[in-house]
Amino acid sequence: MATEPLQSTAERTAERLRTALHDLKGYAGITEDQNNLMGFAFIAPNIVVFSLFLLGPVLFAFYVSFQEWSILAGAGEWTGIGNYVDVLEPLPISYADGSLQWRPEVFTDPSASLWWYSLKNTFVYAIGTVPLQIFGGLAVALMLDKRVRLRKAYRAAYFMPVMLSGAASAVMWRWFLAGDGVINGILPTFLEHNWAGDPGTALGGVMLMAIWGGIGSNMIFFLAGLQNIPEELYEAARIDGASRWHRFRHVTWPSLGNTNFFVFVMAIISAFQVFGIALVFSQGGPVYATTTTVLLIYQRAFEEGAFGEGAAMAFLLFLLIFAFSYYQYRYREETEVDY
Amino acid sequence: MARSDYEYPGYERSGVSYWSKTTVLYLLVTAGALWMTLPFWWTLTTSLSASPTAATVSFIPAEFTLQNFITLWERPDILLVRWFLNTMLFAGAVTAFNLTFDSLAGYALAKVDFWGREKIFLGFISTMMIPGMVTLIPVYLLLVELGWVNTYQGLIAPLVAQPLGIFLLRQHFKSLPSALGDAAKIDGCNEFQTFYKVYLPLAKPALATLGIFTFMGAWNNFQWPLIIANDAEMYTLPIALFAVRNQYFAEWGLMMAAALIIVAPVIVAFLAAQNYFIQGMSLSGMKG
Repeated sequence: MATEPLQSTAERTAERLRTALHDLKGYAGITEDQNNLMGFAFIAPNIVVFSLFLLGPVLFAFYVSFQEWSILAGAGEWTGIGNYVDVLEPLPISYADGSLQWRPEVFTDPSASLWWYSLKNTFVYAIGTVPLQIFGGLAVALMLDKRVRLRKAYRAAYFMPVMLSGAASAVMWRWFLAGDGVINGILPTFLEHNWAGDPGTALGGVMLMAIWGGIGSNMIFFLAGLQNIPEELYEAARIDGASRWHRFRHVTWPSLGNTNFFVFVMAIISAFQVFGIALVFSQGGPVYATTTTVLLIYQRAFEEGAFGEGAAMAFLLFLLIFAFSYYQYRYREETEVDY
Repeated sequence: MARSDYEYPGYERSGVSYWSKTTVLYLLVTAGALWMTLPFWWTLTTSLSASPTAATVSFIPAEFTLQNFITLWERPDILLVRWFLNTMLFAGAVTAFNLTFDSLAGYALAKVDFWGREKIFLGFISTMMIPGMVTLIPVYLLLVELGWVNTYQGLIAPLVAQPLGIFLLRQHFKSLPSALGDAAKIDGCNEFQTFYKVYLPLAKPALATLGIFTFMGAWNNFQWPLIIANDAEMYTLPIALFAVRNQYFAEWGLMMAAALIIVAPVIVAFLAAQNYFIQGMSLSGMKG
């Protein structure tokens, strides 16, 4: 490559500068010990907060998940993996000729096991919302990155739902989708329906609300990403006669690599953790139709007081999210493009 | 900002093809923007209606009235001012602590050459993967032990430092030249003075972005206050909305007025800082 000698010259110069500065540091009275001391002093507050409110609690939650632990009585019997078995068991267990049988109805029948049922709800929610949130956000960002008149007003309009708290938007959408609600007010009579009150459409209502609220924040991330793509790349592509689609496919999309990764991972993680909007919208109902996994954990732990089982479920969810993030990270390492 | 197509030779800025493309583009963005803002309009019209129903409210308020807002103000069991101040204090304190702690850590992890720096940074970042629900139960138990349930310190303490902020500010400090700090030190600044007098002022855009994000996140936080604030006196606005939702569920006008009160301050703040916001985002290392 033509740029290599230049780069190594620059690196050599930088190295020399670093050595010179290192020598200088002795004169300025700065030693390595002082650096260590200052470094740790600067990060000390974070270390305290993280160990107190993150690492310590995670370890403790792991410990709690092997016990009966009630909100009133505190620690109870040590049950080993009992909590995990209870959670994962499709109830009631059916043994045909003494062996455990796979029962696909655990994903459809709420009376089988709420864990599996909530997991199904969460997956339906994630699959239905994440792609639309991401590609909707990207499409809007692409349209509003250009010289559209009133660009700022449009951006503000798309960002408005992001500013609304989950609780407030859940209350709003509940009213729009209620039997006597606004949506029915503008629909023709034969389409009227109690959208929020029907188990068949309630989760769809939560998803509609999530897509509405999610497009704007992704738009902001993509707009920031688009601003960082050097104009020369487009210029070169245009001179080569690349069409609009080719410019998007070969310049914009690969240049957004890091943004895509960030947006996708964040969207999936927050979809797995959806909780507030489902709780306020419908409190998990009707008939568990909107009981997501985190909502189930909340109800077990804080409403029924079964902390042990709640902690076990939280850990199973943690494993799922961790596996997903790790897979994404590895996959990204393999496909990353360098210029 | 990308140059527009029409600045290049061979691109016509007139003719049927150009105008039809432009029309489609505007139709699309306008339709999307309507979908985003119409719910706010419905909320406004509902909050201004007396006993709203589907048939009477959609685009203009039925029987215009301010009664819903007056009721929220006057009802003795709705502590509107208290809840508003609680939310302000909670979001304000969380933001102030995050900006302080995260900029200190971000600076050290970018500019101070100390032992184990990269590993500590990775450690901080990997905590982002821990779902809130895992730590919620033990943190609650810890605060019960401390007697901090239903207190401001209990609300604020667990949220005072967040890994995303450390990440953003470290990226930003990394992008600033080290020569500035070296010069400051030769002139006799110590590490803290270098941070405070030289680098921190240069990080204003990143701090503004992180500040808006953190404030909005705390203002709208639902999960943590729901667990820790059980007395009506300690509610933040989102929790209060959830609590009164059960009582006044059918009174849609009241509920919509309450939803508007929650979002209004954030919308005003955003509109004031909009320009700064997107600029700061692209400066703070959220790069494509």
